[in-house]
Amino acid sequence: MDFRITEDRAALVDSVRDYLAGVHGVERLRALDADGSARSDELRQGLTEMGLRGLLVPEAQGGLGLSLVDAALIAVELGRAAVAEPLVDGAFVAVPLLIAAGGQEALLGAIATGDAQVALQHPVNGWVADFDGATHLIADRDGRLLLDAASARGVALDSVDPLRRLNAPVAAKGDDIGASDALLDHAALFAAAQGVGLAEAMLAQATDYAKVRTQFGQPIGSFQAVKHHLASAAVAIEFARPLLLRAALALEQGLASAPVHVSHAKLAAADLAWSVGEAAIQVHGAMGYTYEVDLHFWMKRAWALAGAWGDRAFHLARIDAAVIGGSLPIGPAHSFA
Amino acid sequence: MELAYTPEQQAFRAEVRAWMAANVPARPLVTLEREEGYHQHVAWERRLAEGNWGMVTWPEAYGGRGLDLIQWLIFEEEYYRAQAPLRVNQNGIFLLGPTIMEYGTDEQKARFLTPMAKGEVIWAQAWSEPNAGSDMAAIKTRAVRDGDHYVISGQKTWSSRASFADWGFGLFRTDPESKRHKGLSFILFDLNTPGITRRPIRQFHGDPGFAELFFDEVRVPVENRIAAEGEGWNVAMATAGFERGLMLRSPARFQAAAARLVALFREHQDRASPAAREQVLAAWMGAQAYAYNTYAVASKIMAGGHIGAEASLNKIFWSELDRAMHRTAMQLLGATAELRQLAGDRANDWLEGYIFSLAGPIYAGSNEIQRNIIAERLLGLPR
Repeated sequence: MDFRITEDRAALVDSVRDYLAGVHGVERLRALDADGSARSDELRQGLTEMGLRGLLVPEAQGGLGLSLVDAALIAVELGRAAVAEPLVDGAFVAVPLLIAAGGQEALLGAIATGDAQVALQHPVNGWVADFDGATHLIADRDGRLLLDAASARGVALDSVDPLRRLNAPVAAKGDDIGASDALLDHAALFAAAQGVGLAEAMLAQATDYAKVRTQFGQPIGSFQAVKHHLASAAVAIEFARPLLLRAALALEQGLASAPVHVSHAKLAAADLAWSVGEAAIQVHGAMGYTYEVDLHFWMKRAWALAGAWGDRAFHLARIDAAVIGGSLPIGPAHSFA
Repeated sequence: MELAYTPEQQAFRAEVRAWMAANVPARPLVTLEREEGYHQHVAWERRLAEGNWGMVTWPEAYGGRGLDLIQWLIFEEEYYRAQAPLRVNQNGIFLLGPTIMEYGTDEQKARFLTPMAKGEVIWAQAWSEPNAGSDMAAIKTRAVRDGDHYVISGQKTWSSRASFADWGFGLFRTDPESKRHKGLSFILFDLNTPGITRRPIRQFHGDPGFAELFFDEVRVPVENRIAAEGEGWNVAMATAGFERGLMLRSPARFQAAAARLVALFREHQDRASPAAREQVLAAWMGAQAYAYNTYAVASKIMAGGHIGAEASLNKIFWSELDRAMHRTAMQLLGATAELRQLAGDRANDWLEGYIFSLAGPIYAGSNEIQRNIIAERLLGLPR
């Protein structure tokens, strides 16, 4: 029993954080928004060169062969930097499904090199993200996974999040590559991870602002009403992070209880990012309500991810079935049931 | 990261479970806030000590088993699973004990820790004064040096366990010229020393849970001071960290309450509101989150890490979780919630628990103070 992140793992996560801070700062976010491109070739290439597209791809297919825990921690960093690049859907979610399906070595190799990009469709998820640029679509139909070329694209949709690119779902078709159980759980796990990163970023932005904005002759961060908003956010973050690690490891190890842990993490992270966003805009005051202050990019992503890959009601119902329904052992001797 | 127990840890769990099954009293004890219940709880402490369960993380030389924090968490899980009584000596074993372990001399360790682990000496805390609550640095009670004694005069209040306990610990002003955090010393005293008057305070629930303590030229040997004279504030802050942090409220307590709440919901679900259903799930989710976080902190400490201001995050989380889950239970009970006895002559534990939970956000440093600590020390906001 050891709940620590190993040093190797922490070093990898730090390197991704540093890289994203360098190439994907707010200036870049604003530029991608202003020119309408929403995607950056430099970032796309950089993530591939860092090996992140092949993070979960087996070494035999040119990947790093790392685990869902590593990917979840990196997804936290993607959330922190508000990256919308299709790394999560196309590599972190799709790769374990393709590995489980078997016989997809060529596609796995192409994902690692960035030559293939997979988009995802599931009835519980509303929309298909990043259909533009996708070479393949994995879609759930009646609990089966169908793999197809991404050809017939659904109608384009306009998200409040200026960096999300969405299409309506299409009629699912293609080769049946196996049962679909894992798709939703993997995708929900990474949505949760991004939620934690979004929340941490918004707390940091609001804290920085509270240190420099002065009113009544002193920084507003010296006032208890402001301090307490931010302290409550810090408490909520502290207790959401371990849920993510718990869910990632449970899914990695294929525990029967993994879906409940994923739902717990997803629900908690979505609530977290949503409420920390509200606290952050309150601390920013009227400045927070402007397009000029960057907070809105993070808040909009938080709303989008809260509804994606199972909304609040969906995940609460899964927890309900396990906890009140009685399929999950609960109580003090079941911390890790 | 490894979230599974070793065979040794599983064997330890089985050992605790078997002992608890054979020894936990079949009938719940009377509340430890009443004299009768206090003595029942002291007897339970001694029974625990006979099984060598007094404080499993302490060295064997001081009545412990020399176990690590993961084993402590397992012990606590089995303790609450067995619905064993509350620890009447929690001020000693969870707060003062770790403080003496860190700051005490070898002589003090030998003198105080073993009787504490064995339940032979029950401890009260004596922090607050009438004008020093959240603002603890405003302490006025004086301890004036006279040869090899301090002479203590003044008043303490909200002193948990002091109505019936044997010894107390607290902060006293040893430098009469000093102000605020300086000039305070951490001193232990026998509550039966001449010159100490205890006046029990009737609490919200009607029982005398805490007491006022009046000190009228009370002579206390200098060797009862922990750490150097004038260093009391730092020592007290370490104690407060233990209190808010890992030890005082182990996750098992809330996991047990959440499981009971789920059972209560199943009994009442025909007439429960959808909101109550969600609150019940929130209770389970909160207790699990608290457990994971505690395992994470324990793992960090075992690898040589420390907790400082992070303890404030903990204290806010468990105290607000505890209040919320007991309020949910009260709402599920509906008209029955106000009754002190339930059918079958059972005490209404949810009512008692709810009343107790109201104190959580206040004691051990109010949650407002905790939020200030988080904002200033963890987030770096200006004072």
